[in-house]
Amino acid sequence: MRTLLDWSYKLLALLACVALLAAFAAVGLTIVARETGWDLQGLDAYAGYAIAAALFLALPGTFKRGEHIRVTLLLDHLRPPLRKLFEWWSLGAGFALALFMAVYAVRLVWISYDTHDVSQAMDATPLWIPQLAMALGCAVFALALLDAMVTRARGGSFFDSVGEAARAE
Amino acid sequence: MDALIAVLLIVLLLAVLGSGLWIGLSLLGVAVFAMEVFSNRPVGDSMMLTIWGSTSSWTLTALPLFLWMGEILFRTKLSEDMFKGLAPWIERLPGRLLHVNVIGCAIFAAVSGSSAATCATIGKITLPELKRRGYPDAMAVGTLSGAGTLGLLIPPSIIMIVYGVAANVSIAKLFIAGVLPGILLALLFMGYIVVWALRHPDQVPPADARTTLVQKLHASRHLIPVLALIALVLGAIYSGLATATEAAALGVAGSLLLALIERSLNWQRFVEGLQSATRVYCMIGLILAGAAFLTLAMGFIGLPRHLAEFIGSLGLSPFALMLMLVLFFIVLGCFLDGISMVVLTMAVLLPTVEKAGFDLIWFGIFIVLVVEMAQITPPVGFNLFVLQGLTKRDITWIARVSLPLFWLMLAYVLVIYFVPGIVTWLPAQMQG
Repeated sequence: MRTLLDWSYKLLALLACVALLAAFAAVGLTIVARETGWDLQGLDAYAGYAIAAALFLALPGTFKRGEHIRVTLLLDHLRPPLRKLFEWWSLGAGFALALFMAVYAVRLVWISYDTHDVSQAMDATPLWIPQLAMALGCAVFALALLDAMVTRARGGSFFDSVGEAARAE
Repeated sequence: MDALIAVLLIVLLLAVLGSGLWIGLSLLGVAVFAMEVFSNRPVGDSMMLTIWGSTSSWTLTALPLFLWMGEILFRTKLSEDMFKGLAPWIERLPGRLLHVNVIGCAIFAAVSGSSAATCATIGKITLPELKRRGYPDAMAVGTLSGAGTLGLLIPPSIIMIVYGVAANVSIAKLFIAGVLPGILLALLFMGYIVVWALRHPDQVPPADARTTLVQKLHASRHLIPVLALIALVLGAIYSGLATATEAAALGVAGSLLLALIERSLNWQRFVEGLQSATRVYCMIGLILAGAAFLTLAMGFIGLPRHLAEFIGSLGLSPFALMLMLVLFFIVLGCFLDGISMVVLTMAVLLPTVEKAGFDLIWFGIFIVLVVEMAQITPPVGFNLFVLQGLTKRDITWIARVSLPLFWLMLAYVLVIYFVPGIVTWLPAQMQG
């Protein structure tokens, strides 16, 4: 079970990388198409789908590595029992919200499919297809939070060792 | 009643953020709560539609691509090359090689979207070199920490993309607006080094051996790749040939080419860079997703509008309002990161800013500057964290040696308030 879960986080993280590459390719092709007068439309929409896929598919893997940021200023100054309480609160509330997202992400796919919702841009893609990646990412993200709670309850530690400071800003 | 709701929501938001719940989920949670309680819209469906719409956009595509570009360059020998190329030129300036910190950061900032990446890339080469030559640690680390913040101000800039998407302002214009303020701020930092060096001549180590002009020019060949990359990315944006997103893709392609040419690109580094970029993007993206829905929820309740009316009714002058905002951001910056600060501000304060008559491009640069200041104030400041990792010194010491640069930046904010042309002139000259 443990290996299966870890494997699924890693697989999704890999797919997220592929999605980022795809976004790069889509933007690159847009430039090439315009410069050569090649009639290739709707690529900008594909770039958008690709980065959405990259974002959501990477959620569980990034969470596992402890790279989603949070405010730890107060947490660090609490005494252990109280701190433990707050950590449980974060995991519990986080799981509830991730589950909420997952349920409605799956529902959005279903609504888009059911109502034949099609992209308004030139690509006219049926939206349920790109939204599938979002639903999958959200679902596994919820699973990862549940996993974190179960692991914690058993006294193990879920998160990989803390990574380097995020080079985000 | 409305005021009560506003206060309740803001207190709730701060409490949830402070409780340690992941920031993106905190924003999402408060938005869900606000919509459930104060509106009768279907919460879950509008949440997912908003999130989908905001995360699958062409404009936002620039963000992960610029992150990736930074990750590629971080793994090259670019910073060593820059040190070699710059050092011979500035040996004669008072303060000597300390200026490499500032000029190096300013140049790297023009190919990188983040200040922590700028700080880390330049610092990993300048800090050991400066130490070996006997420059005082306090100046080496302090100037690096201040100059690293140029990463946010000089385009490309991750935080400007976040702001541009949230405020619906042209990212290309924002980028170009950051150029002149960035260069001036770099000059201000260099001026500070000169003044310090003139007052403490005994603390500046002697110059390396004198070099001839030919040798200097020869050493400068190391700067060619990075300057070409800057010309490619900024030139494409300024000339109107490419949007910010397209320029980002050009930048990624250029960085890959640069890494290939200098033979620092292999399969493992390529994959590491890509993975790292994806994770950092995911971290930021979750915050953006939460913020997008929070903005929608706040809009339904009408909180930003009411707040704008309330602040408008106070009859503050724009100057007083700006000072209040600076103070507010500095306090907020004590526990929040820059991106969260920007998205929260946009969710709540955008109508207030518009009503006060601030130009949205100008305000973007203003907010970036203030976020920069927050980057070097403890306890939460990403530049401080990076420098802590590089130097293994105590964070309060790093914050103390960065303090003079913090005051300079505060003074600089006043300058761009009184001379807004520094920000608005260049974008007005743009094509298209």
